[in-house]
Amino acid sequence: MVGKEILIAIGIPLLAFSIGISLMMFRRKIAARIQRRYGPNFIQPLIDIFKLLAKKGNITHGIMYDLGPIIALAASITVVFFIPMPGMKLMTGSADVIALLYIMVIGSLATALGAGESANPNSSIGVARALTLMLGYDLPFVIVIITLVLKYHTTNLYAIMQAQAGGSWAMWVLPLSAIAGIIVTYGALGEHPFDAAVAPNEVATGPMAEYGGKHLGLLMINHAFHIYIELALFVDLFMGGASNIFYFYAKMFVIFVLIIFFDEVLPRFRIDDAVRFYWRWPTILALIGLIIVLVK
Amino acid sequence: MMNMSLGILLATPFIGGILAYLGGKIHRWVRYTLAILFSVLTFCELFFYYGTESANLTWGKLFGSLLVLRINNLSWLFAFIVTGISMLVVIFSVNDMEEHKGLDFYYMELLFVEGAMLGIVLAGDLITFFMFWEMMSWTSYILVIQNGEMSMKAGYKYIIMSIIGAYAMLASLGMVFGKAHSLVFSNVANALAKSSPGFVIGFFVLFGAGLLVKAAIMPLHTWLPDAHSEAPSPVSPLLSGVLIKMGAYGLFVLFYGLLSVQLLGNLIPTILPVPLLLYIVQWLAAISIVLATFLAIMQEDAKRLLAYSSISQIGYVVLGIATGSSLGIAGGLFHALNHAIFKSLLFFAIGAVIYRTGTRNMSELGGLIKKMPITFTGALIGIVALAGVPPLNGFVSKWMIYEALLQKKEVFLLIFAFVGSTGAFLYLYRFIHSVFLGQLPEKYENVREVPFLMQIPIWILSILAVLFGVFPGIPMKVISKAEAFFGITPVKYNLYGFPQGSAMGALKVINISSVLVTALIVVLVLFYTLPKSKKLSQYDTYAAGQIVTPETKYNYSYGFYMSFGRVVNPVFKWSADKIYNAWARALKVFGDYMRRVYTGNLETYGSYIVVLLTIVAFVILIGGRLW
Repeated sequence: MVGKEILIAIGIPLLAFSIGISLMMFRRKIAARIQRRYGPNFIQPLIDIFKLLAKKGNITHGIMYDLGPIIALAASITVVFFIPMPGMKLMTGSADVIALLYIMVIGSLATALGAGESANPNSSIGVARALTLMLGYDLPFVIVIITLVLKYHTTNLYAIMQAQAGGSWAMWVLPLSAIAGIIVTYGALGEHPFDAAVAPNEVATGPMAEYGGKHLGLLMINHAFHIYIELALFVDLFMGGASNIFYFYAKMFVIFVLIIFFDEVLPRFRIDDAVRFYWRWPTILALIGLIIVLVK
Repeated sequence: MMNMSLGILLATPFIGGILAYLGGKIHRWVRYTLAILFSVLTFCELFFYYGTESANLTWGKLFGSLLVLRINNLSWLFAFIVTGISMLVVIFSVNDMEEHKGLDFYYMELLFVEGAMLGIVLAGDLITFFMFWEMMSWTSYILVIQNGEMSMKAGYKYIIMSIIGAYAMLASLGMVFGKAHSLVFSNVANALAKSSPGFVIGFFVLFGAGLLVKAAIMPLHTWLPDAHSEAPSPVSPLLSGVLIKMGAYGLFVLFYGLLSVQLLGNLIPTILPVPLLLYIVQWLAAISIVLATFLAIMQEDAKRLLAYSSISQIGYVVLGIATGSSLGIAGGLFHALNHAIFKSLLFFAIGAVIYRTGTRNMSELGGLIKKMPITFTGALIGIVALAGVPPLNGFVSKWMIYEALLQKKEVFLLIFAFVGSTGAFLYLYRFIHSVFLGQLPEKYENVREVPFLMQIPIWILSILAVLFGVFPGIPMKVISKAEAFFGITPVKYNLYGFPQGSAMGALKVINISSVLVTALIVVLVLFYTLPKSKKLSQYDTYAAGQIVTPETKYNYSYGFYMSFGRVVNPVFKWSADKIYNAWARALKVFGDYMRRVYTGNLETYGSYIVVLLTIVAFVILIGGRLW
């Protein structure tokens, strides 16, 4: 019994990481094909991570600089345990969706603090933009979450997922909220046009400007987790989770490819325009969705 | 015997204040010792009352109404905040205020404020309540105006608004005294239960206005940013951490002690999930949360930023208390305790920075993490707790308030609460980044960590923030008993959180924190087995090929969220202050006209009398009646 629990404790983060990193691999390939390139080796992201972790010329700017990526990765691993996987409640009984919103913030906050100590103005500007964007997409996101909670009369993520089993996905029942939800997921992943925070040709990848070597390696692992978390949350909330891990992966893949298609062809929003956008269209959609559920 | 000691408890800080004043005439260390001793003594005495369901002491009689002191679990909770934070403030003051003049008087006032606030929470009737309420206003006013002209102005605004609030409160006392002939809480409650709806609404509005001024709920908040930022460093935690909580305490007593949810519900038939009067208070609180958060984001002065943050956080407290549901009230009370902890912690941290650097302008600071690591750790715990991120204390109370609002389906209020909370990440990051992270200016190369006495409050509050976050059951024990005392069914809880059924979902903070800590250990081990890193100076950074020197380091600190400002600035063309100033101008114009009538000249007044008598005589002559 204990053996099984240990297996889950090790297996779940590994599974989440594999899903995230494989999506990153597909992403490189798909982006290349859209730009009519051949693209890198399929497992290039994984090679990059090992290369970065093995580097001997690491630099540091202080204790918080080190702790930033460490806490961010630890927090991402933590979050994975609170998002249900197919057939597995994991630890959703200990923290509901409201608590999850705040557990998910730990990682962003840690990265921001680490970037802050790097004493590079590019990093600070990047963090300021990232946080501003977060305030932007959080407004429609909380409205969407509230809508789902009211619809399914529970804040337990696993219960919300179960209630959609058998094809009555929230995506079909609450289409407006789902559209708002996917725009929020899009922004949370920081893809074009919402990539002002890391804009390489403006602020030199923003928060990551000073990071290199093993720090950057951890941040890349963290990014793989981040992709998994955002997409898994969307699939659990709107697409009824899945009956097995392959369907789960397929759903995430579809959403991710959809996002990449937009990402590759769109330019960049100025950060205040991004906030205005989020406070206008997704918010209006989400509010209409909320009112529909309230009135019913 | 037990009853008399309630008087002793209340008298301790006052005696301590006077003794510290006299002791200061002998030697400064006599003053410090006495002040610390008596503030610690008050805190310790309070623990004799831990778990007391109810104890009363009648200490006098005025206008035929008994004057009563009482303690129950609610009073105990707030007395814990008052005495605890005051004790830390006294300890912090020893080093921080040493350059200051008139210290004997300062310590006396400090202990008097503590005594006054203790009096408020121990009051068992409205006269005692009002007496100590007024005492709190003027003693804290004197503490605010210690720092020269700017603080005088801030204090002036503070005392004017307090007086207006107090008049409203006094009027409500007069109203209810005419009906109940006694101002003991239970008698007032009985009288109000039998009164007409109009009377109750009048009482609610007048008494509530006095409380909302102190709780700094918009639009009655305008005194707070000035007073809290201009006050001396050790006084700000007292104002922000404790004094505004008195407003929240008063509101609780008003809603559930003097009135009740049933009474408020019967008052006006309503389709809303909560009684209309509470609903209006909730909306004021929700608007406070969002607007104050946006204002805090745009501040350049660290203490002003924290002051605006206080307005928004007290909004959560009031929002929770006014839900009328057991979970929401418990969340509000818990948040009052938590806010006292983390906001005092943040004010102590910035106080420590001001002590070493002499400025609170965030764009002049930076990089202090390397010089003041303990202060930084305190500030970090403070911001994480305030942001409501697990596993620290602010998370649990905010979670409770959100769940309560969800249960009641008050979704629009909930959206406001969420946005305020996300906005908090912005100003909190700005605070810690501009002060402790970023680049260290050369003039602060020789800054050291603060003396040990100033570290004590930071240590204690940091530990409490973690403790109450991981084990919310500890404070919930007192809170649920306080709820039971006021006839509210207590919410289900256990040591680690809330089981299924107490809210819409369950919460077990210990699980979140243990997963987090385990993951952290794993990643730490991984990190430190990888090749070691080399330490670089802050000038050795990527700057697109340029060489960074102390002159050209491009620290990004001023106008941190300027781009966000472009989004929200249109809203801030409006401000409550402008409206009040317009009122003041209108009043002045009115006064100018009145001055033409009241010339101060005896002959003019004589002619007025003649004119008036003529009119009266004329009216009577033509057969009219005057009344």
